[in-house]
Amino acid sequence: MLVKNIANLVVRSSFTAGKNPLVLRHFSITSAKCDIVKIQSTDDFKAKVINSKVPVVVDFFATWCNPCRLLTPRLESIISESKGKVILAKVDIDEQTDLALDYEVSSVPVLVAIKDGKVQQRLVGLQDTDKLRKWIEQFTAEESKAEVKA
Amino acid sequence: MAPIGGWLCCSRRAKLVAPSDYIDGDGNFDYDLAVIGGGSGGLACAKEAVNQGAKVAVLDYVTPSPQGTKWGLGGTCVNVGCIPKKLMHQAALLGESIHEAVSYGWQVPQLNAVKIDWATLTESVQNHIKSVNWTTRVDLRDKKIEYINGLGEFKDPHTIVATMKNGSKKELTAKNIVIAVGGRPHYPDIPGATEYCISSDDIFSLSHPPGKTLVVGAGYIGLECAGFLNSLGYPATILVRSVPLRGFDQQMARMVTNEMEERGVKFQHHCIPQSVEKLESGQLKARWLNTQTNEQFEDVFDTVLIATGRYQLTKALNLPAAGVTSVAENGKIVAPTEQTNVPHIYAVGDVLENRPELTPVAIHAGRLLARRIFAGATQQMDYDNVATTVFTPLEYGCVGLSEETATERYGADALEIYHAYYKPTEFFIPQRNIKNCYLKAVALRDPPQRILGLHFVGPVAGEVIQGFAAAIKCGITMEHLANTVGIHPTVAEEFTRLNITKRSGKDPNPASCCS
Repeated sequence: MLVKNIANLVVRSSFTAGKNPLVLRHFSITSAKCDIVKIQSTDDFKAKVINSKVPVVVDFFATWCNPCRLLTPRLESIISESKGKVILAKVDIDEQTDLALDYEVSSVPVLVAIKDGKVQQRLVGLQDTDKLRKWIEQFTAEESKAEVKA
Repeated sequence: MAPIGGWLCCSRRAKLVAPSDYIDGDGNFDYDLAVIGGGSGGLACAKEAVNQGAKVAVLDYVTPSPQGTKWGLGGTCVNVGCIPKKLMHQAALLGESIHEAVSYGWQVPQLNAVKIDWATLTESVQNHIKSVNWTTRVDLRDKKIEYINGLGEFKDPHTIVATMKNGSKKELTAKNIVIAVGGRPHYPDIPGATEYCISSDDIFSLSHPPGKTLVVGAGYIGLECAGFLNSLGYPATILVRSVPLRGFDQQMARMVTNEMEERGVKFQHHCIPQSVEKLESGQLKARWLNTQTNEQFEDVFDTVLIATGRYQLTKALNLPAAGVTSVAENGKIVAPTEQTNVPHIYAVGDVLENRPELTPVAIHAGRLLARRIFAGATQQMDYDNVATTVFTPLEYGCVGLSEETATERYGADALEIYHAYYKPTEFFIPQRNIKNCYLKAVALRDPPQRILGLHFVGPVAGEVIQGFAAAIKCGITMEHLANTVGIHPTVAEEFTRLNITKRSGKDPNPASCCS
């Protein structure tokens, strides 16, 4: 909802101001969708998470888990804010059971931050938006530091 | 699962590290133990075997019900038995509480508009079940138990073939094998039964509100289902073939059914179903026969729920290939010490002949069995004095012998039956029906009057009877009971107040007011 509203605002202002459409792309709903992927298989996970050039937050969730449902909109809005710096990969633990077990998901929700195929951090349980934002910002900041070093 | 507003689902205690005492000298098998059936009994046995150092595989597979319902790992209790049943019973109790609350001063706007949202109820129940399925799966992984989601059958005494969901076969060998396949609802052989009727396999995830329901069968499953459906606002009629709660104390059974009748459940006694046909409206026309009067009846229902007993899933096991014998009529396995006629093949849970079909029984037997196989233990399962509770609107909890069985075994002269009606304190204000709040103790007549059975109909009967089950294990007598100080005001304390014997002929009713 929020993303949509912002997108609408920007669409309107971009018309009047004639801004670069590239800026618009980051705010648009299409972009939000690109930043958020649902993992379909272990191979899909390899392609979209392990081999991702961009850091990934993997959201291990279950459809039957209320805290997961509460986490989803918070997480998705923050990921959208990150303008493509982080990808959100959603893993339904009942569909991708082996994957979830491999990542030792015993309770849900679990967020796993993965960079270059390696687990950097884990965050277990429902988080408020501020903590979530800080956690993701810190993770992506480490990422940019790493880039500078490289 | 965490309550609404919780922060985590399936949070568990720290992982247990399995000690490995058991070292298998025989390396010719894939596993030390293969368990066929991932229900309460099978899983308990598998986990304990791993604790004793065994290498274990568990096969679990759910064949969809005739209506297409299927579910996950964990067996009957978790998926289509005790757990969803208790939750729906709780939903029913809550509905009653809303009405009672008014007399306690709660202002409930539009009391008439209070009704259940079936979709929300089933979703909540199913979500809880799925969280338990997951916890179970993680538990198996943590304990390094190989989980095979396939339908197992014997190829030979040590080899099991598992048919996987995609039809592929997987073969495994095991030194020891435990049969823990449990059972499924039995359907009567009448037109329309499997086509249009549902069972306890389906009711807890039914995609639409059940509406007016015919329940065929008055065992505990039939009574419980009819009870919660009626309390949720779905009119229920029960077809009773012989007597309700056969095998239970019949005086107590009558209290349970009286209460249900007073709440609006209809009982058709001595009736057997004849046919179920689907009308154009989508409703079901059921016909039944009164076997005493030979009268035929019919009525139209939205749902027909079959609860005419369960059959054991041993047929699909190809038992002859392993040389295991089973009872021809019901497919049950005779194994007094859980060991079948083939020494390395065992059975636990509902498949056992002449054993109570109860989850905690299967769990306890499975655990003890694993310790005997892998840790040299000698303790056998004690199947006597197992407490149980029927979760009808007014619950019935019992432990030990019924009055009938005690009379058969000891003779009426050797028994003293203590009994009482009682009034739960909470019932006064909303003026709830107290007519069926009743309890009794079946004891030997000679001092100190050892107690053979305790029976209780009333609220939270399960909570009441559990502690007394331990007391019976310890050999409690009426003297002990009389010298026990009650907790006031509770319903459980009524046991400590029992003093009227049936033999005395005295009125077991409490004083009419302010007792």
